[in-house]
Amino acid sequence: MSAAHSAWLDPGPWLEVSAASDANKVNAAILCERPGVAELAVLLSPAAGKYLDLMAHRAQLITRRHFGKTISLYAPLYVSNHCASGCLYCGFASDRDVPRRRLQKDELLAEILALKQKGLEEVLLLTGERSDKADFGYLLDCVSAASAHFSSVTVESFSMTEGEYAQLGQAGCTGITLYQETYDPAVYRKMHRWGFKRDYAWRLDAPARALSAGLRTAGVGVLLGLADPVADLLCLFRHIQYLRKTFWQAGILVSFPRICPQNGGYPPSQPVQDDLLAQIIFAFRICLPDVPLVLSTREKPHFRDGIAGIGISRMSVASKTTVGGYSRAGDGAAQDGQGQFDVMDPRSVEEFCEALRKKGLCPVLKNWDAAFQPPRFS
Amino acid sequence: MNSGMSKGINSAWKLGNHAFESRLLIGTGKFSSVEIMVAAVRASGAQLVTVALRRFNRERPSDDLYGPLSGLPGVTIVPNTSGARNAEEAVRAALLGRELSGSPFVKLEIHPNPHHLMPDPIETFEAARELVKEGFLVLPYMPADPVLAKRLEEIGCAAVMPLGSAIGSGHGLRTREMLEIIIRDSNVPVIVDAGLRSPSEASLAMEMGCEAVLVNSAIAAADNPPAMAAAFAMAVRAGYAAREAGLMSKSDNAVPTSPLTAFLKEETP
Amino acid sequence: MRLTVNGEPHNHTGDKTIEALLKEIGADPRRVVVMINGDVVCREARASVRLEDGDIVEVLAFAGGG
Repeated sequence: MSAAHSAWLDPGPWLEVSAASDANKVNAAILCERPGVAELAVLLSPAAGKYLDLMAHRAQLITRRHFGKTISLYAPLYVSNHCASGCLYCGFASDRDVPRRRLQKDELLAEILALKQKGLEEVLLLTGERSDKADFGYLLDCVSAASAHFSSVTVESFSMTEGEYAQLGQAGCTGITLYQETYDPAVYRKMHRWGFKRDYAWRLDAPARALSAGLRTAGVGVLLGLADPVADLLCLFRHIQYLRKTFWQAGILVSFPRICPQNGGYPPSQPVQDDLLAQIIFAFRICLPDVPLVLSTREKPHFRDGIAGIGISRMSVASKTTVGGYSRAGDGAAQDGQGQFDVMDPRSVEEFCEALRKKGLCPVLKNWDAAFQPPRFS
Repeated sequence: MNSGMSKGINSAWKLGNHAFESRLLIGTGKFSSVEIMVAAVRASGAQLVTVALRRFNRERPSDDLYGPLSGLPGVTIVPNTSGARNAEEAVRAALLGRELSGSPFVKLEIHPNPHHLMPDPIETFEAARELVKEGFLVLPYMPADPVLAKRLEEIGCAAVMPLGSAIGSGHGLRTREMLEIIIRDSNVPVIVDAGLRSPSEASLAMEMGCEAVLVNSAIAAADNPPAMAAAFAMAVRAGYAAREAGLMSKSDNAVPTSPLTAFLKEETP
Repeated sequence: MRLTVNGEPHNHTGDKTIEALLKEIGADPRRVVVMINGDVVCREARASVRLEDGDIVEVLAFAGGG
């Protein structure tokens, strides 16, 4: 994709479409049978912001068609917060004074068992950016360990080569999550002060490398608040269109991470309020009817409960964003304030599942397993 | 080629490195005579004309299409493999066709059942793989299956030709839903083939996003084939022009019942 | 020489070249393609091919077909 980046990802024309939206265009976009980037531009406009409930109804109808009345659940598992990069907005940036650790084999096993006890079957392993203290080899070991226990193991970690992704796949990794954070190159440069993550193009092509290597899924997204959300989201949509066309057997997922205040954290330059976040989710559901849309525990309980099934089809639950947070294998009392982000929905798996059932939604803890694949001997 | 319509609009499309203006392909079967067929081809403005390969018959020298068609300006003869029942036969037919036509195009068509004439997906895939290796620009006739379309694209076919409905049935775009998926996901031209009965259906196929359409039975079986061919040509240009002009969206008004967004007004507990 | 041409027995009386055979059956060499024993004979090779007793020859032309 490298050479075509700037043309493909230029949101300029679509921002103009967005600015020219009016009630009629919004109505047409909501009902469009085959929406594309033009419809997304309209649905992300301030004009569409007046029609949230209309959008919500359409989003719910579409979500029900493709996902039924189910919400798939997963848990994030931070295996290391070592980091050599300097991302301005992140609690783990290498110039932040936080205790650094990575899970040892037995600690990892304890975390895994704690999650399994809660009934979870799908796990997302997270690390900081590439660092000597938690390198590719370490991540590979973690994936091997986790895939012996979980039906789905995905990773949210540093950008890797196609060869590295292939190795992860062989070890049992089914997919990656990797956010471009922002598609605006100037903001991107400012945010990523040092380290490997500073390379915009290398990161941009990472989901494509992962899918080329044969991983099944790629989760993408932008960090809402860093730059103009509409411009970033239009670029994200174009990126998704490219990935879907190029990797026709792959599953794409979209997340909506929003910068929230954090201990001594980064104040977003263009904060996204609740109404706009809801509008964004509805717009993406309308324009990507068959793509799972993911919401984490960064968001508050009433927002999560409200939007489950109306656009959102997948959610994390009972999350700990500290290393060793599940089994208390970590630093004890020092944990809760030093995660990658603050967990705003602390409910347990049972509590959250109960809340979903009250809404007429069925929580799904396991969607896929490797039973039909040839056995992998360790 | 008729009216001065669409001059100046760059509406060419490509198969491999070959560019074409006309988006109507025409087949040469079922015509009542070679003269009428040639007149229809001329009236259609088609630049890609599919022909079959048959044993030379000295009793019927006028059956031979090579002479009549190679005299038409701008026409590229595309041999098809119709008659082949499996990949091996289709490959042989393609090699024969290329030797005679001198062009790299082949319409790959394998229908083992002579009644419904549905294309064999497995033999077609095998033949396509072989023919791409041999340097052909393969245009495979296929069931309207989105996965098969990507597989054929992946192995190097120059286009995909999903059927609209069974050959000769005139049932139009029965496979519309599948065609939409194929069109959305394809990186090669999508040419709808088979089953079109009327010019409006050809127009619709173009509005949907097809790169081109192939019509045979609907023209050959019309009362006046050359006039029908001209009508199809106009319809294909109209459908394409409409798509480029940006169709107005369908719109009703959606009326919600109970509000779903009350949660946005809730206070944080 | 006894050949099978287009599925029928054919007694070939001319010399062993393809050109002679085509002339015998009334086919214009520019408008047909020839296959011998399952192998396509390309135009450049026609002059050098020699027919043999028992060969199965197919001579094909373009005809109407979708």
